[in-house]
Amino acid sequence: MIDPRHLLDRRNFLSHSVSGLGGVALASLLGREGLLGAGRLRESAAGKMPIRPSIDPAYPHAPRIPHTEPRAKQVLMIFCSGAISQVDTWDFKPELIKRHGQPMPGGDKLITFQGQQGNLMKSPWEFKPRGQSGKMVTDLLPRLGNLADEMCFLHGMTGKTNTHGPGENFMCTGFTLDGFPSAGAWTTYALGSEADDLPAYVAIPDVRGTPQSSVNCWGPGFLPAAFQGTSFNAAKPVRNLSIPNGITGTTDAATRAFLQRQNHRHLQNHVGDSQLAARIASYELAARMQLSIPEITDLNSEPDYILREYGADESGNKILDLRAAYGRNCILARRLIERGVRFVQLFSGAYQTGGEGVSNWDGHKKIKEQYDIHGPVLDQPTAALLKDLKSRGLLEDTLVVFCSEFGRMPTFQKGASGRDHNPDGFTAWLAGAGVKAPFSYGATDEFSHKAVEGVTSVYDFYATILHILGLDHERLSFYHNGIERRLTDVHGGVIKEILA
Amino acid sequence: MVTLPHSPLKTPSRLKRPLLILISSSLFFSGIAGAREKGISLTTDHWSFQPLASEHSHAGIDAFLKEALAGKNLRPSDRADRATLIRRLFLVMLGLPPSPEEVERFINDESPKAWEELVDRVLASPHYGERMARHWLDLTRFAESNGFETNRERPNAWRFRDYVIESFNQDKPYDQFIKEHLAGDALGADIGTGFLVAGPYDIVKSPDPNLTLMQRQDELADMINTTGTAFLGMTIGCARCHDHKFDPISQQDYYSMQAVFAGVKFGERPVTKQVTPESEKQLATLHKSLITARNELKKLKAIAANKEGDIPQRRPPVNARMNTEAFEATPAKFVRFTIRRTNSSEPCLDELAVFARGGENVALAKSGAIATSSGDLQGYPIHQLAHLNDGKTGNNSSWISNRPGKGWVQIEFAKVSPVERIEWSRDQDGRFVDRIAVDYLIELSVDGDHWDLAASSEDRSPFDEKANPNAFLSKLGEQEANQARKLIASIENTQSRIAKLQNGVKAWVANFSKPGATHRLHRGDPMAKREEVPPDALKVIGSLDLAMDTPEQARRLALADWITRKENPLTARVAVNRLWQFVFGIGIVDTPSDFGTNGTLPTHPGLLDWLASDFMAHGWSMKHTLRLLLNSEAFQRSSQPNSTAARIDATSRYLWRFPPRRLEAGAIRDSMLAAAGTLDLKMGGPGFHLFEVDRENVVHYHPKEETGPAEWRRMIYLFKIRQEQDAVFGAFDCPDGNQVVPTRNRSTTPLQALNLFNSRFTMQQAEKLAERLKGTQSPVASGFELLYNRPATAEELADSETFIGEHGLVSFCRAMLNTSEFLFIF
Repeated sequence: MIDPRHLLDRRNFLSHSVSGLGGVALASLLGREGLLGAGRLRESAAGKMPIRPSIDPAYPHAPRIPHTEPRAKQVLMIFCSGAISQVDTWDFKPELIKRHGQPMPGGDKLITFQGQQGNLMKSPWEFKPRGQSGKMVTDLLPRLGNLADEMCFLHGMTGKTNTHGPGENFMCTGFTLDGFPSAGAWTTYALGSEADDLPAYVAIPDVRGTPQSSVNCWGPGFLPAAFQGTSFNAAKPVRNLSIPNGITGTTDAATRAFLQRQNHRHLQNHVGDSQLAARIASYELAARMQLSIPEITDLNSEPDYILREYGADESGNKILDLRAAYGRNCILARRLIERGVRFVQLFSGAYQTGGEGVSNWDGHKKIKEQYDIHGPVLDQPTAALLKDLKSRGLLEDTLVVFCSEFGRMPTFQKGASGRDHNPDGFTAWLAGAGVKAPFSYGATDEFSHKAVEGVTSVYDFYATILHILGLDHERLSFYHNGIERRLTDVHGGVIKEILA
Repeated sequence: MVTLPHSPLKTPSRLKRPLLILISSSLFFSGIAGAREKGISLTTDHWSFQPLASEHSHAGIDAFLKEALAGKNLRPSDRADRATLIRRLFLVMLGLPPSPEEVERFINDESPKAWEELVDRVLASPHYGERMARHWLDLTRFAESNGFETNRERPNAWRFRDYVIESFNQDKPYDQFIKEHLAGDALGADIGTGFLVAGPYDIVKSPDPNLTLMQRQDELADMINTTGTAFLGMTIGCARCHDHKFDPISQQDYYSMQAVFAGVKFGERPVTKQVTPESEKQLATLHKSLITARNELKKLKAIAANKEGDIPQRRPPVNARMNTEAFEATPAKFVRFTIRRTNSSEPCLDELAVFARGGENVALAKSGAIATSSGDLQGYPIHQLAHLNDGKTGNNSSWISNRPGKGWVQIEFAKVSPVERIEWSRDQDGRFVDRIAVDYLIELSVDGDHWDLAASSEDRSPFDEKANPNAFLSKLGEQEANQARKLIASIENTQSRIAKLQNGVKAWVANFSKPGATHRLHRGDPMAKREEVPPDALKVIGSLDLAMDTPEQARRLALADWITRKENPLTARVAVNRLWQFVFGIGIVDTPSDFGTNGTLPTHPGLLDWLASDFMAHGWSMKHTLRLLLNSEAFQRSSQPNSTAARIDATSRYLWRFPPRRLEAGAIRDSMLAAAGTLDLKMGGPGFHLFEVDRENVVHYHPKEETGPAEWRRMIYLFKIRQEQDAVFGAFDCPDGNQVVPTRNRSTTPLQALNLFNSRFTMQQAEKLAERLKGTQSPVASGFELLYNRPATAEELADSETFIGEHGLVSFCRAMLNTSEFLFIF
């Protein structure tokens, strides 16, 4: 019988259980369990051999070596659900201001998602030069604007669809259809995690609910469930994390110890069966998470000045309440990055509570009214997060990604005072490890309608992000239903110009 | 090297040209591209395209396996003990553990045929169909919501699930099963066509034509991919943008397959029943009595109307589904519908149809009519002015005004026409009864300046949702009123009997329309049409030889025939390999949906071909093949590891032992309920929900915190929502219903441990199990029998009893429900 005290010691545990035929069985078991996928390895269209990472089924999140020397080890993705308008934030167009109120050339023939175009409309928020670089950013996001020197802008982003669901699928998984693995799942599949008592990949949904594509945004698709994002935020804990009602801590621990004794007795008849060893290990990790996740979501240890900085200390009206809630999520994001979580995905906006524009960035009807709420909620906490990461030296190893499913039109919709969807030209930015800053790459036309320079597809976008993580987007693959699947499908190229 | 086809399938005529191109891996791409340009057919030497071997070195599974084992220097393990065997058989084939009584009966069964008889009994169990159906529904990406951001429910989709369960239980021949999936509408099995539309469906429509075309392309791609992978083990979808890089599938093949499905649409419809002479006779009688009853009632209504005195006859009140305005034919080029009041909110019209003499709807946008309005509700693609006269009805294709209670729409026809009837409605599907125009005017004009009133709500009975259509009864004497009541009841009864005879129930199955031309699309871009293609299948196997304008249903029937012809080298091989995987956990080909050159080679090619031929020779009976597999020595071998053998064959693919594996999500949940004695084995019907449903335009699903007996049915009956995963068992690699899943992943994660150890579900079942054990002589001994189907060892007994003494029986049950031995097939 195994002393229960040893059960919390992973290394010790390993030496007990994964022995004998374990080593042999391991590699081949992977294939059967779908961790590696089956199928023959063969050259891709690009003439490259796929790389399917070698995964220990007992520790699917063990850190793994990238293909090449990485520039960043972790990713923080800030995702604005509903399609944030580049016209009202980052994409400065003097010509749009000049021709404000005039029809857009060719606009009368243009049918966008909801139909016909009204006239060109400059942003209701004024653009001002920011930082040393003098980058023009609007007053909608002044504090983020002031950090423009930290940012590497991609002004020529393009999408493939102008509906939210497929759009968010595309931006999060590289495919417009449902059912493909999210970028975070690909990253943890490739790299595992540095944090051994936290989930490798955490999605932090907006307190108001999930984004338009819901769990697709952090889903595992056809990758093993081990690589899905675990979703929780500062307000809503991980499901089934706490000890069940009516059970004392002592009984809980004793029950786990009894369970593990029973599992070990059983394992003695199946020496070296790594599936069984993996299950035993997973209960140990679960026990550690039961301690570490409440610890990381408990923000009480954060000093007052941090709460103030993130806008998490004020409440009393709708904007302040929302800002405080989002601010707390931002603090949580920093804490997760600090602890080595591989991929953190932070959402601004939800479809759940109010649909179009009301609780997300989908500003069709009255963009001024809608963004006057969303802007202040996003601005201060996100800016504080970026500054905090920098001051703690975390930007050395962390790539920050700011994106949205697509952008918005430089015109107002016919009969409305908001902007329709625009996948033909929008802005994303990167910051931190691996990218040049301040830097701007790509451009839209004179009105911010179509990308015309440095046109960047979502495939290029992810090829670049993977490259910064030391991964070759043409080689990182998973065999599924006869196809060597990639995050970038069969497209994409690294944008070398923006690499630091 | 062999070229195909050698079979009696029609050889594509172009193949008779002297030039054949033999394909080898990487040269393939250019080879094929060149081939198409020159109009030359493809051929291949890849194993799975070759005819099944007709001569076999062995008969019987074990003979094949033993030869391979000997070749690898592997010694097969001994037979497992009987308790292990019956547990294995039940878990594999039924997804439920046997009861301790079953185990005891089998252990003591001295008949030499004890095992064969047990196998027969298991295959005859109705739970066999439930278990097989789970695998089949994974493979056919079945779910009960639309997916994408709206993810609305499909309340009738479960009928396809029940159809699948029933088909397995009846041991429906597999070729018939496939035919019903593709063309059940032609075979009296409408519900089978639920297969075609079981996948995700994007209902967010936009006036943007690019988007609409791409959505349709994606829908068709889903049908092609699923048909290709599920039945043929071929990744046909790869040829959407270019010729397949590895397999002999051209881009033209892909679009020819698309032409087969080009008329298939998504939606719910009444499933038609087959007309029998008997039902025809019944219908005639029912119609006759309906007419008589209606005439009688009319007379009584006339009596009541006379008693109302001088009040003029009013037209019936408006309703949501359909309102008709008839008037003398009037020449008009414009119609204007002005709404002055609604029963609630902004008015909604799903369609405004204006009929000219002769019956043509001149208001259709297709006929050149143009709609304008006083203002439109913004922001909803389903509510657009364009929907007013698009010929499509229902809330999802409707117009809503931007002003509460008011608004007007106007339609200008292509030319002046003599119009005589107008039909308008709020929701012809009958789902919505709000936003109805209750006070309105309809005017006509020739020049758009001078308007004449054609109809209005003035002469209608006032709209009152609660109005009693039988108000006239109060005007009648008691005897007449009673007579009228009887007539009304009999009319309703007759109508529903007629409906039952004519229409079956409603179900989410394929809808069919006349297909237009299908073109090859350059790089898959719907704006880059190339040559028109006929409906066809994979030409490397054989052509359907159909004309461009072949009727819709005939296309699908032809494809179904082509797939199920015995000469098709793929279908039976793919099928028996799936059965093999179902039983042993891994296929003879371990890429079960890819028999192309990107997949792996069979470990036992001779065996695969023997099984495939035997399967077809026995009428495509799945139970027959399963019986062979389950009665094999290989299935009955011990699963104990053996380090010598493992060094040679660690994954046990050569079956020196039976390979153990973790149960899938559904079988874990079902087993827990079975052990706790709470499992409700009721079969069929609408599924149970594990989510609270929040129905906005976009539907949100919130996991239920607490479940009860209503949710304690087998998981196959879970109302399966796309994307969203059950809060406890979703983490056990449940498919999300978006992709074909031929093999479930079996990952092990700490989230699984948290869910299974801490969830309310586990605690509840642990409590129920504890109650069940409490009444027994030895709760520990009974617990081991119930959960593991074996007695506890002395050490286990002692440890368990000490633990229970300190922490109670419920905690013991909680731990036991989490143990590997309970959750694995050994």
